[in-house]
Amino acid sequence: MGAAGRRLLALVPTVVGVATLVFVLVHLVPGDPVDVMLGEWAAPADVQALRHDLGLDRPLLEQYLRFLARAATGDLGDSIAYRMPVRRVIAARYPATLALAGTALGLALVLAIPLGVVAALRPRSAVDRAARVLSLAGVCLPTVWLGPLLILAFAIGLGWLPVSGAGSVRHLVLPAVTLALGMIGVLVRLTRASMITALGEEYVRTARAKGAPAWRVVAVHALRNALLPVTTVVGLQAGALLAGTIVTETIFAWPGLGRLVVQAIDARDYPLVQGCVLAIAFTYVAVNALVDALHRVIDPRFRHES
Amino acid sequence: MPHAGLVVVLPSDPQSLDPRFGTDANSARLADLLHVALTRPGSDGRRVPALAARWEVPDPRTFVFHLRTDFRFPDGSPVTATDVRATYEAVLDPTIASPRRGALAVLSAIETPDDATVVLHTREPFTALLDATGLGVLPAARARDQTEVAIGAGPFRLVEAVRGERIVLRPNPGFPGGPPRIDPLVVRIVPDEVVRVLELRRGGAGLLEDAPEPEVLEWLRRDPALRVTRVPGTSFAYLALNLRDPRLAQRRVRQAIALALDRRALVRFVLGGAARPASGLLAPEHWAYAPAPIPPHDVRRARRLLDRAGFRDPDGPGPRPRFRLVYKTSTDVARRRLAEAIQAALAEVGIAVEIRSYEWGTLYADVRRGNFQLSALTWVGVGDPDLYYLTFHSTMRPPAGYNRGGYASGVMDRLTTEGRRTLDPERRRAVYARIQRRAAHDLPVVPLWWEDRIVVATRRLSGFVPAADGALDSLARASLD
Repeated sequence: MGAAGRRLLALVPTVVGVATLVFVLVHLVPGDPVDVMLGEWAAPADVQALRHDLGLDRPLLEQYLRFLARAATGDLGDSIAYRMPVRRVIAARYPATLALAGTALGLALVLAIPLGVVAALRPRSAVDRAARVLSLAGVCLPTVWLGPLLILAFAIGLGWLPVSGAGSVRHLVLPAVTLALGMIGVLVRLTRASMITALGEEYVRTARAKGAPAWRVVAVHALRNALLPVTTVVGLQAGALLAGTIVTETIFAWPGLGRLVVQAIDARDYPLVQGCVLAIAFTYVAVNALVDALHRVIDPRFRHES
Repeated sequence: MPHAGLVVVLPSDPQSLDPRFGTDANSARLADLLHVALTRPGSDGRRVPALAARWEVPDPRTFVFHLRTDFRFPDGSPVTATDVRATYEAVLDPTIASPRRGALAVLSAIETPDDATVVLHTREPFTALLDATGLGVLPAARARDQTEVAIGAGPFRLVEAVRGERIVLRPNPGFPGGPPRIDPLVVRIVPDEVVRVLELRRGGAGLLEDAPEPEVLEWLRRDPALRVTRVPGTSFAYLALNLRDPRLAQRRVRQAIALALDRRALVRFVLGGAARPASGLLAPEHWAYAPAPIPPHDVRRARRLLDRAGFRDPDGPGPRPRFRLVYKTSTDVARRRLAEAIQAALAEVGIAVEIRSYEWGTLYADVRRGNFQLSALTWVGVGDPDLYYLTFHSTMRPPAGYNRGGYASGVMDRLTTEGRRTLDPERRRAVYARIQRRAAHDLPVVPLWWEDRIVVATRRLSGFVPAADGALDSLARASLD
């Protein structure tokens, strides 16, 4: 089995762990989907019958094993609130979340890495100070405040962009910027610090001594090494990014998985909550597997290790 | 015609566009637009004709409905008694798992002697059955579908529904009196209150049905393109008390809590003045309303009552309370603000209140199971006064009904039973007057206020009449200039 295969296999316990955790948590929360579905008028016999139909009257361990066995075959059950397979509900919402998180990630990388590099090359310059302010703001400003502020400025004040909703690239701009800003803050600071360390290394001095052009010293020798911790953090931050979609999608009425999970929790739609969390966890694990693969591209030492 | 379309923003998806399944307020709003029912609620709590042009009650167990013949489904087919019967039978079918089954469980038979007559027979005399006839009628051929059916004979027909995003409606061409002029009617789901307001301000939405915070409302009032309308509402806000708690079981303690609250100040502080202090469940507009005393704000008397109930203040004006209570509320900002105001008011009379705020599903489950001491709740859409039976009859403790506080009174049991069995409207009115006075005396819940309905709309919208219960049905007769 190749290194990639072994890595993928190692992800299985993580996903099973998440599945177990979410099953336990969902069933620990007070409230019941049958209460929500049938309302207060329901006759006790109807409540009992529906609980039986949904399998909620079976022992918890049996419910858990059934859930695991079905999930292994890709069957996440039927959504209680939507009255259709969870897989279909998630498939309808997943692309919107991927588009939002993907754009935010792209924005963060495109803005943060060059800014971090320039800040490292010109410490205490205006760019460095601006980068510091931006990264502090990105880390400190909560999304619930930043989102409406951006809407006020760019949708109400300037009238350039729509307030909320989906349907065009213009709709994507404000939620993606809101979601990206926190990550930009972290990445600018990390890139700057990592670049300063790399620029002080002996191999950079050697490259300079050998007469390599300045751009090559920065882009090939220093940046390539400085990017290792950055890519690791990007992988870890993907979790924060996915968690951030819950708030961002709610603010901007973006029809993705983040909002769906909140709606599912409100309705105590156990299968849908489980399905959404599994989809999010699977995405996180996949992004980190991708980051591992990227490490091997950037740094040949990883290839030898594996 | 791009200017003929209207966007309405709602905070959450309707549970369902199918009248068999939707029971929440947003489902009811959409049902008014998509479906027609035998009857609909009038402004005074009585049922008024809709698909049924008239009805009679020849004996206490029989209701005969005479249908109009001009309602049509979007495909042009007329709505007949067969459709009504099929819909009601589907709701009664346990395999459909309709949450409305309980409300119709009293039916023993449904007859359709001809296409324009429906006869409902009940097992026992039950005057409140009319409230259950607000069920939207589906085409008979689809009434037993296990999946959602959103085909109705209302003023609009469904074109597109993207869950969590938007619902697009267009006029039903066969609607009696002519199709609506608003085309299309788009309902957008925008969960964040600030963003709903900003959509309205930007022109991305034309009608906001759920009133924002008082401060935000002031901001919207200053916009010349918008019109803020306030109508007296019938939603009843009250402080729920758990009478299983030995302290709250004492009427003097409940009375003291009622006297400790300055309702006018609370209305000003929490709702920006948009409510009327309430005497009970039924608002003055309701046909069965009878005046009952509203507890005045009287801190001294409240303290005396607590002393007489045996809960003396251990250190007078000092920090030690007479006793402590837990107040459960949701995470909603306005609800938390109300909780804090009530906490401060009760501290004045020596009752320490600990506020615990929960996500809505958890709070609702706790309240339903009677796992609370204090909680402020609101009744939305008060129809037949039989609601008194469901909320205050001793057999109606959850899960059977809404008597969440566990109140039990022989007098109230007798009166509420009499109310649901009495057919003569004048005699019923007299029974409910006694019930209202009894509730004001016993205080199984502490009445707070009837919340006003505040609607913000573009000034281009004309003909829309905001309803006390938040119904959108007048959009069928509205237009955009």
